[in-house]
Amino acid sequence: MSYREKVAWLSLLAILVAFGPYFAVVATAPPDDTLPNLRQLWLFAIAVAVQLAILGAGHALFRLRTPEEAREPADERDLAIQRRSVSIAYGTLIAGVIMVAIIMPFYAGGWAIVNGAIFAIVLAELVSYGVTVVAYRRQS
Amino acid sequence: MRAGTISNRVRLLRFQHGEMTQAELGKRIGVTRQTIAAIEAGKYSPSLEAAFRIAAVFQVPLEDVFQWTPPGGGE
Repeated sequence: MSYREKVAWLSLLAILVAFGPYFAVVATAPPDDTLPNLRQLWLFAIAVAVQLAILGAGHALFRLRTPEEAREPADERDLAIQRRSVSIAYGTLIAGVIMVAIIMPFYAGGWAIVNGAIFAIVLAELVSYGVTVVAYRRQS
Repeated sequence: MRAGTISNRVRLLRFQHGEMTQAELGKRIGVTRQTIAAIEAGKYSPSLEAAFRIAAVFQVPLEDVFQWTPPGGGE
């Protein structure tokens, strides 16, 4: 498995572990719109911290185990896979933006819109890394 | 547009050049070992420049490394 495929798997795992529980909590106990909603802010901060911790530890481990691969720049196949995954994720993000910025304001507000926007970003990232790992697996 | 089939003799050429490793070939043309493995397995078609670089490493014409069969087997 190439270094960049490992990084894609790590990024996918980090998003799932960090934001899976976040959206589970938000869906089961939606936040109220009082300001400042510290519970909601803390929840988001914890999710981001968990994601950063997983990414930091994973990258450190990969660099320790395969330092030469970590230093190598992306080759043409890596870049082709990246272009494809970003292109597909862009469509996902645009659909999310339309939902959050154009449709949701008619029936929701406050944290629902904020979490809708976070969900669109997280979903686009999931699609991006998902397409990346599938492409690497299909070519291996 | 119907795609043809691209095949290659990279594995054979590596063998004929002293069992050159995928990593070594990759290093000489600027791609990873995994990309060479994907090219050999026919799962990734390299760029024209990478194809020329591979041919240059083995000092053979491009068509000795890569072959293209048009749709329908060239009939």
